[in-house]
Amino acid sequence: MGKGLHLTKKDLLELEEEKKSNRKQRMDFIDLYCAWLKKTPNKVWSKQQNKLINK
Amino acid sequence: MELEFSKNKITFEKCLSDLDKLVIKFVKILDASKVDYVIISGYIAILFGRSRATEDVDLFIEEMPFEKFNTFWNALDKAGFECINAFSPEEAFNDFLKEKLAIRFALKGNFEPNFELKFPKSKYNIYSLNNKVEVFLNGEKLLSSEIELQIAFKLSLGSDKDFEDARHLYNTFKEHLDLNLLKKQISELQVEKQAEKVLWVKDYI
Repeated sequence: MGKGLHLTKKDLLELEEEKKSNRKQRMDFIDLYCAWLKKTPNKVWSKQQNKLINK
Repeated sequence: MELEFSKNKITFEKCLSDLDKLVIKFVKILDASKVDYVIISGYIAILFGRSRATEDVDLFIEEMPFEKFNTFWNALDKAGFECINAFSPEEAFNDFLKEKLAIRFALKGNFEPNFELKFPKSKYNIYSLNNKVEVFLNGEKLLSSEIELQIAFKLSLGSDKDFEDARHLYNTFKEHLDLNLLKKQISELQVEKQAEKVLWVKDYI
């Protein structure tokens, strides 16, 4: 067989499941992050956010 | 998050990011040039804590005659900004803005972050410009799109990133939002299914 992934139907279904699970995990993280954000002083969360944004 | 929220006004203080400082610098030029504007989309989520970066800040600006736009262009030039997709104010105005296409400004010598400016085109654009929220960030005024509309619009854009922005804004402002207005905007933009999945269900499916 030449180069390439040679995915089967089963592989594609697995990939779909993986994408779905990744999306759910990212949304769960948003919920977790927002809960933290809401109880955290602005000075604290914004300093952390700036480390990401000011790169 | 500590903030004061009333119908059309949000007041809060935080450690400003480089992006916040640049946005404040840019809107001061809009204000000085008396150009009405509204900031929409990703920066609004980031302004209120979303943990991600962006390469652009999206704004609608009022439709205006060329003379006024030319004055604004010159003020931006004087402040160190340059247009990165049009070479002259005439080209930017006639070939982009009047054609309802976006022009982009960045600090001279930079490509990002940049400010994406458009004249309003659709009913949604015009509504955004006419229904702004004043955000006082460390005492500096920014004009943001209505949060309820922003959430519904993010649902209509439909990418994973947009859904995450929508959920972030909804979670962050849940207690302050006009839920009837949010549902109305969701219904008008026909994104009820997306809202069901992204906002109303506790566990994202």
